[in-house]
Amino acid sequence: MANAIIEFKSVTKQYDNDPPVLDDVSFEIERGKFYTLLGPSGCGKTTILRLIAGFTEASDGEIYFNNKITNHVPANKRQVNTVFQDYALFPHLNVFENVAFGLRIKKMKNAEIEQKVKEALSFVNLEGYENREIREMSGGQRQRVAIARAIVNEPEVILLDEPLSALDLKLRTEMQYELRELQRRLGITFIFVTHDQEEALAMSDEIFVINKGKIQQSGTPTDIYDEPINRFVADFIGESNIVTGKMVQDQLVEMVGKRFECVDGGFQSNEPVEIVIRPEDLEITTVERGKLQVKVDSQLFRGVHYEISSYDQDGNEWLVHSTKKAVVGEEIGLYFDPEAIHVMRFNETEEEFDKRLEAYTDGSGHGK
Amino acid sequence: MDRKITPVSKIFLVIIFFILYAPIFFLIFYSFNSGGNMNNFEGFTFDWYKELFQDTRLLIIVLNTLVVALLAALFSTIIGVMGALGIHAARRRQTKNTLLSINNVLIVSPDVIIGASFLVLFTMAGIKLGFYSVLLSHIAFCVPIVVLMVLPKLSEMSPTLLDAARDLGASRLDVITKVVLPYITPGIFAGFFMALTFSLDDFAVTFFVTGNGFSTLSVEIYSLARRGISLNINALSTLLFLFTLILVVIYYFINQRQQKPVLGGRK
Repeated sequence: MANAIIEFKSVTKQYDNDPPVLDDVSFEIERGKFYTLLGPSGCGKTTILRLIAGFTEASDGEIYFNNKITNHVPANKRQVNTVFQDYALFPHLNVFENVAFGLRIKKMKNAEIEQKVKEALSFVNLEGYENREIREMSGGQRQRVAIARAIVNEPEVILLDEPLSALDLKLRTEMQYELRELQRRLGITFIFVTHDQEEALAMSDEIFVINKGKIQQSGTPTDIYDEPINRFVADFIGESNIVTGKMVQDQLVEMVGKRFECVDGGFQSNEPVEIVIRPEDLEITTVERGKLQVKVDSQLFRGVHYEISSYDQDGNEWLVHSTKKAVVGEEIGLYFDPEAIHVMRFNETEEEFDKRLEAYTDGSGHGK
Repeated sequence: MDRKITPVSKIFLVIIFFILYAPIFFLIFYSFNSGGNMNNFEGFTFDWYKELFQDTRLLIIVLNTLVVALLAALFSTIIGVMGALGIHAARRRQTKNTLLSINNVLIVSPDVIIGASFLVLFTMAGIKLGFYSVLLSHIAFCVPIVVLMVLPKLSEMSPTLLDAARDLGASRLDVITKVVLPYITPGIFAGFFMALTFSLDDFAVTFFVTGNGFSTLSVEIYSLARRGISLNINALSTLLFLFTLILVVIYYFINQRQQKPVLGGRK
């Protein structure tokens, strides 16, 4: 692709004889977008970042940067800058000198350095903090210094390694907005690593969901949320009710001993499948009106909604997010639209999944 | 835990410190005695100090001691820092531990053995005993100390700092000079001053490897004391004690500067 700035081709990273950290990973990163690598800890997302930054080398496969192979280019010669999880600010330098570090290495003129550093600091709302020592800055401020230090070098790509994980919730939400806004203003590619699915959904243009050294699914936040490819993705991104069942025919699925109309297609008849229904798509109603009959087991107040846990007669758990209270122990009915049902095939690769999705959604307007 | 300090423990502490410091103060006290011995104090005098400063031979020895100490501290700091960097950079844990153990053995092994082995080495290698043999041996026993002072600083340093520097375009040399060395500077200073004090007050090793016509203070004091009691020694020891005290104070202030209190940066 012409617009790809970074491309991984069958990249594997393996230490000694341990199982590979990254297993035959291929993807493309386009210019000027906000990407998120999302996955549980130890899934290999940080390894991808370190490979892009050049802190570590791939055991196998090629990494292209601007269509040039870049496997053996040392970190200091790459057009990327990183914002580290612990910020990695130099404690012996003040704010100004920290931001100026990269420019001084490039032997830029003092006047120019001063101007660029001022600009970068104002970008992250830290004007007037030039002479502060790092230890005098709060966590959020250090975070901004680290970002300023990365953007001042005008890299083509900025890598962010869980940069918000050390901040408290309120500050984190604030920084999410700021980072997104910063990316739009700068127009450069951001690659953001996180294990926080809400953060990923809120900020990204594109999400790569990674597990066990493989990319499970990539796509826009809505794609991934509405059409997860498998159990792992459905479970990791948001809350979900997952039950097994079978596809009687296209647009007709059987679960919990009943048949339901749905909008998914491209299956063999009677193929065993997994079915996802998001808790917020379930509506509490009377037993008669409900498509499913369940018994309320417990209820948690989550602020925005009640999280109600209930069980059907087969013993499947159904989580419901509702603004209305339910009564524990009571039989209730659950209603959902055919569009709320998402059917997943077992062991489907992303390629097959995309092809099938394209084939059956053609003109039928699947999705919400 | 918030345990109370009982009067007993206070008294214990006072007694211990008294026992430790009493001989030194006794020595200092009698250096001002006009009586000429340490049996009874007859009157206050600076005579012993005056005599000390008129003794050019002794002054040269003082100068020798200082030159050896400063040079030994300087060279051992350079070598020690490089050694610490090397040990820190060792990838395999076993290599690291082995190197560190070899380093530590040199610190704990008795001075007498180090001195004797140096004497054997210098004679076999044909190095004339004197200034250079003393300097070389001092550098040798100071290096492990510097390594030991610098290493904790290195391991305290987050490895992402190095990644960050590389990421910002720093070459390997830049990383060392612009990030690592500034970061471990307190350790380097601590190592330097430690080496300085170790070299200044070393007796055993120096005693072995010093030759005719070259002597350091500790060796000289020893030979003076053997010849018979003169309050010259008291005066000299007093000055030496004050000098070490000054070093300790300097070291204290360097440490203080490193741990400046945080000014209002807290959230």
